Amino acid sequence: MSATQTILKEVKSYHWFVQFMIVLVLVGAAAAIYRFAFGLGATTNLSDTYPWGLWVAFDVVTAVPLAAGSFTLGAIVYCFNIKKLEPLIRPAIVTGFLGYSLVCVGLLVDLGQPHKGWHVLFFWNLHSPMFEVAMCVFAYTTVLFLEFLEPVGEKFGWKFSLKALRKIHMPLVIAAAAISTLHQSSLGTFFLIAVEKLHALWYNPLLPLLFWMSAISCGMCIIILEATACHKWMGQPNEGVLLRTLAKILPWTIGAYIIVRVLSLIFLTDNVLFDDPTTTKLFAAEMGGFLVAFFMFCTNAVRNNDSLRALAATILVFALILYRFNVSIFGMMDWNNIYYPSTIETLVTVGILAAHVLFFVLIARYFPIFVHGHEEEKTVTENSTEPAFSHN
Amino acid sequence: MMSNDSSKQNTFLIDLTKCTGCRGCMVACKQWNQLEAEDTHFFGGEGYQNPAAMSEHTFTLIKFRDSEKNGKHSFSFYKEMCMHCDDPACVSVCPVHAFHKTPEGPVIYDSKRCIGCRFCMVGCPFNIPTYEWSKGLPLVKKCDGCYSRIKEGLKPACVTACPTAMEYGPRDEMIQLAEERLKKYPDRYVNQIYGKDEAGGTSVLYLSSEPYEELGFQMVTDRRLPSYTWPALRLVPSIFVTVGAGLSALAWFNHRKDRIAEEKLDAVATENPAKSEEDKS
Ligand code: SF4
Ligand code: SF4
Ligand code: SF4
Repeated sequence: MSATQTILKEVKSYHWFVQFMIVLVLVGAAAAIYRFAFGLGATTNLSDTYPWGLWVAFDVVTAVPLAAGSFTLGAIVYCFNIKKLEPLIRPAIVTGFLGYSLVCVGLLVDLGQPHKGWHVLFFWNLHSPMFEVAMCVFAYTTVLFLEFLEPVGEKFGWKFSLKALRKIHMPLVIAAAAISTLHQSSLGTFFLIAVEKLHALWYNPLLPLLFWMSAISCGMCIIILEATACHKWMGQPNEGVLLRTLAKILPWTIGAYIIVRVLSLIFLTDNVLFDDPTTTKLFAAEMGGFLVAFFMFCTNAVRNNDSLRALAATILVFALILYRFNVSIFGMMDWNNIYYPSTIETLVTVGILAAHVLFFVLIARYFPIFVHGHEEEKTVTENSTEPAFSHN
Repeated sequence: MMSNDSSKQNTFLIDLTKCTGCRGCMVACKQWNQLEAEDTHFFGGEGYQNPAAMSEHTFTLIKFRDSEKNGKHSFSFYKEMCMHCDDPACVSVCPVHAFHKTPEGPVIYDSKRCIGCRFCMVGCPFNIPTYEWSKGLPLVKKCDGCYSRIKEGLKPACVTACPTAMEYGPRDEMIQLAEERLKKYPDRYVNQIYGKDEAGGTSVLYLSSEPYEELGFQMVTDRRLPSYTWPALRLVPSIFVTVGAGLSALAWFNHRKDRIAEEKLDAVATENPAKSEEDKS
């Protein structure tokens, strides 16, 4: 059999959902090619009024906090030494690595001159938040790649590299947290320049801090969702006990965020807050999401129940997505001349999302990312690797 | 960033009360910069202006506004162009330093560096930079203050073409001239020189008989735009060090128990070099 035939046969053996994801990714890729062939103006709804649209709002400004699970968990497990959460680390690293790689893809599609993207590494502008974020994303993707090499090394039995990787493990975890703090917050700094453009409900000098704080909670919620999904659809053991521990940390991080958010609204905003019903509604929905998630995670019954916990996490993730969209699109919208994404923009973003799910499932299938046994009481030992998906 | 002394920089003084709306400046700008004509439609914009907005092909635009004054219909004009800010947002936000403020005054753009992120467009408080939306690999377009002409000792093309309304010279002289006019004809002008303080000061100044807001001018802050982002970006190195050191200390502290337990184990019997090495790092 030729290689193509082997691959085709392999693909045919996948679940229909995975095949559907493959289709979405291919459609997204085609849409991206179309964008380069016909130009940004013809294929997107971007304009001189709306130079940034869905690609910046979702593929960069929102996707980065969605991939925050890896650094948050790393810091919790290794710096606060809550070792029992270790089994969650590898899937989180894979998600993080995929997330950031796809942020890079999203950025390249959005850039007008993608072939010059490397210029950022050479013409430094320390005054630019974009420079800051680009450097961090580059550095962090490298860190995540190194961390991701561990399961890859295990799979192919690279003894030497594994030893080296374990040695730099702690520095990597700390570097990941420091770099992430910087770029998660710098994404907020982006919008500090939009002084008279961004609505007062979102513009305030603490935007960077708020972006960072909300990203931490979001990262943990994504881990909860991911572990729940892996249990439900990928035959992984139920990590409910571990997720309960995470859910206990969440009220603190979400609560802290809400307090800073409300205080900054009261004390650090000069302009009128509630002058327009649309923005007020968007703000209410966003704040409501954070509050509901907060009160849910405060409740014992929610933390201990797998589906309620996942629901609370979902609500928080949606609140965060709305927050990022409010800042990067809705808060700057001229409601008489509305921007909405074109079909091509939407297809590319959907393709990127699908790619994330698809690659996660494929990596889980072929690499040992669910390694550690599930005895939460005992100390974690490296036991033999169970393949994530059995082939037949 | 560079808080350069702007008082000697070349500055436009545009007296809108003297503008006749002839649009000679628009034609001169198109010619000098070899910009394509646009397919325009009458009544395409906010008033009688044509084209409706600035674009990759139009670096300066005469905007028309009609109003009622003492029961009489009257026209006002507003020449829109890059303001050549003293401390420009476009310079500070560009990740690759594609923009820079020249000592002569104009803010110019290096297309070879630009990666096309369009942050300059989001950052500019006057919404000046435009983009080549028609191209597959687009670049940013905006008025460069006719930098190449100024280098040769000429005045910008639009200033040369203007029969009535534009003066060009060192900023302090232009401000002086503007203030003299305000003093001499207080009833002719709104008592404000737009651009003197806007965005921390710009190299384009306006005088007007109509309130600026009504003419469609952006109401911008008097603070230099980069001073909004720099307080956060300035902290970057210290945050990096603090988070790094803090987490290292935390990790060291929290692993103390493990280490003590391990040392005991080591003393008792088996050695575990791999593990103790890992903890050291
Ligand atoms: S007006 Fe805008 S484009 Fe022109 S110098 Fe100022 S910030 Fe830059
Ligand atoms: S679009 Fe070009 S000039 Fe504008 S900020 Fe980005 S890299 Fe700089
Ligand atoms: S200064 Fe030059 S580029 Fe700018 S508007 Fe005038 S003619 Fe056009």
